[in-house]
Amino acid sequence: MKRLLGIVVWVAVGALGAVALATIAWHRGEPINATWFVLAAACCYLVAYRLYSAFIAAKLLALDNTRATPAERRDDGRDFVPTNKWVLFGHHFAAIAGPGPLVGPTLAAQFGYLPGTLWLIAGAAFAGCVQDFVILFCSIRRDGKTLGEMAKDEVSKRGGFIAQLAVLAIMIILLGVVALVIVNALKSSPWATFTLAMTIPIALLLGVYLRYLRPGRVIEASVIGVALVMFVVVAGQWVADSPAWANKFTLGGVTLAFLLIAYGFAASALPVWLLLAPRDYLSAFIKAGAIFSLAAGILLVRPQVLMPPLTRFVDGNGPVFAGKIFPFCFITIACGAISGFHSLISSGTTPKMIQREGHARFIGYGAMLLESFVGVMAMVAACAMTPGVYFAINSPATIVGASPEAAAATISSWGYPLTASTMTRLAHAVGEQTLLNRAGGAPSLAVGMAQIFSSTIGGERLLSIWYHFAIMFEALFILTVLDAGTRVGRFMVQELLGRVWKPIGRMNWYPAIVLSSALIVAMWGYFLYQGVVDPLGGINSLWPLFGISNQLLAAVALVVATSILLKMGKLKWIWVTLGPMAWLVVITMTASYQKIFSANPRIGFLSYANALGAQIAAGKIPAEKIGEMQRVMFNQRLDAVVTAVLASMFLVLLVEAVADWHAILARGKAAVLHETPHVATQWVEGD
Amino acid sequence: MTGKSKMENGKEKSRFLASLGMTIWRLWQGLREWSGDAAYEIYVQCATRQHAARVLSREEFYVEQLQRKYSRVNRCC
Repeated sequence: MKRLLGIVVWVAVGALGAVALATIAWHRGEPINATWFVLAAACCYLVAYRLYSAFIAAKLLALDNTRATPAERRDDGRDFVPTNKWVLFGHHFAAIAGPGPLVGPTLAAQFGYLPGTLWLIAGAAFAGCVQDFVILFCSIRRDGKTLGEMAKDEVSKRGGFIAQLAVLAIMIILLGVVALVIVNALKSSPWATFTLAMTIPIALLLGVYLRYLRPGRVIEASVIGVALVMFVVVAGQWVADSPAWANKFTLGGVTLAFLLIAYGFAASALPVWLLLAPRDYLSAFIKAGAIFSLAAGILLVRPQVLMPPLTRFVDGNGPVFAGKIFPFCFITIACGAISGFHSLISSGTTPKMIQREGHARFIGYGAMLLESFVGVMAMVAACAMTPGVYFAINSPATIVGASPEAAAATISSWGYPLTASTMTRLAHAVGEQTLLNRAGGAPSLAVGMAQIFSSTIGGERLLSIWYHFAIMFEALFILTVLDAGTRVGRFMVQELLGRVWKPIGRMNWYPAIVLSSALIVAMWGYFLYQGVVDPLGGINSLWPLFGISNQLLAAVALVVATSILLKMGKLKWIWVTLGPMAWLVVITMTASYQKIFSANPRIGFLSYANALGAQIAAGKIPAEKIGEMQRVMFNQRLDAVVTAVLASMFLVLLVEAVADWHAILARGKAAVLHETPHVATQWVEGD
Repeated sequence: MTGKSKMENGKEKSRFLASLGMTIWRLWQGLREWSGDAAYEIYVQCATRQHAARVLSREEFYVEQLQRKYSRVNRCC
């Protein structure tokens, strides 16, 4: 009877999901309510979790709860800490969910709501969650080894080195591009700049509190910190209203870029307890609160989605970034559908804390479903504003024009009606001088969130507070990624250089710390700077580069996972990881090829450089701008080289892995697994 | 009869309050573990269980734990 009831409930959930999906897919004409998105996503996730993850757990991985996990065998109270599955779920989710699932879907909304939403849901269920889950399982069976170590053991020595280099490369590009998102959100905005600047002294204060006054009392320090941050969000308005103060905090893109570079260096070189750790604690609480509020806001307000399912920019001429749905929608939305970076968390802290192998399904597969849900909510928030406003915020001045009148005329001519006064009024309502040309996703998401929040609390009057709250929360956790990433990048640089010259590898030698910090900051700072000065807005070049590198890392993770599963004798079910891996190879290779060789200057790095060269040769560029344009040309060629190097590195790994698979399957080579031996758990069932 | 049911009601009420209290306590402990607030207590329990030669002080543990935590990828995009 109970079983029958279960079947009925799951059939009903599946049917509801199918109806909701069909509604958002075939809806035309009138705006559609956001509730359909929430329903479609939630039902699909529930069914995927109930059926697909259970199938993977039972058939493919054969999770074994009688086997002691690394947390039990090596319990040391530090790294290896057996942790309750709900707590670890929260831990893992807080680690994987960064700005990516908010920014990617917002940018991909230029195609309309449909391609991005479908990719978020299907990508998570069949690729992203699978990657996180399988890599977590593989790492649990190998004492919590990292992806690089597993690549070295299970694929080849070179594979391990390639994975390590790929991680460093993606880290550098990621830091450059997320810093660009902050710059685009803060430029010419004294309110937002003041608020974010004030989070630095707040973090320092908390750092001293947690180190000397009340060591390790994270919750009480975070409560104080959150209260202070809320205060500076409100105080930002007073700064913006005072001409003298507003002037001090009104900064241009280049100045902000250099300030961020200096900040990244300081966060990497200063003691970790002073700035990095307290900011991370603060950002974890604010992140959890903001995501929860966004979900609650969408459910309460149930906004209408005004963006059409497909826009005219499916033709590849989108103003936010150029390129057709295939492959660029799948590159733009990485986090939220599948993100290679997650494999570093799944083979990092989490496998060392898991109590039972059986928990890997809930934590690995489940947490990624939740992140995908955050991506769908970001899509809803971006699509709930008028399409004209969305395009005005996210398009660079070189495409739509710099003035409200020019932007309104261009965007209206595309068929998305917009008046100049709408943009001026909206900017005024959110307390900004202008909202035009702020590509990067953060400001448009903040406008979307502010409109949803203000419909629940405060109305028009609180729109500006909500907008700056949203900007602060996005910028705060981007800064957290920036400083934590710079520090980890510094360790990677030290480790790599330490192979050539030993002293630089010493983690506590101050000259080595300063030198390697400067090196890593210079590398991502270069990408940031080139993004800020790029006439096409920077995001157009850098976000696809980031997406390609992130998806390539996911492909590396899936190659490693496939190798391990093959050696485990799971040939029958190998399509579970081989399928998403093949899809990632197709999209990353197509995108890499197009970004390097496309004849369209807005897509191809080389053709853009050549087009600028031709303009200089034809005398169309004023003499004083020639130097600047030559730098842009160099940057584009550099981006082409970086893309080519990343793609080639991956192909080397792929060829090595396929040769190994062939040797095992066709030539009877012995499949040697590097699992730790089975040790029976000492814990009783139900612990 | 009425007295008995009153007593049963009282028992049920106290059982309900006890389980509510337990749930709130568990949630609070979960939050403390999630945020790192309880990290030192967990470490001390483990060190005591394993009869460690020296147990770090709260300050020492805090700094040492941060050094380890932020020397590897622990935040994603």
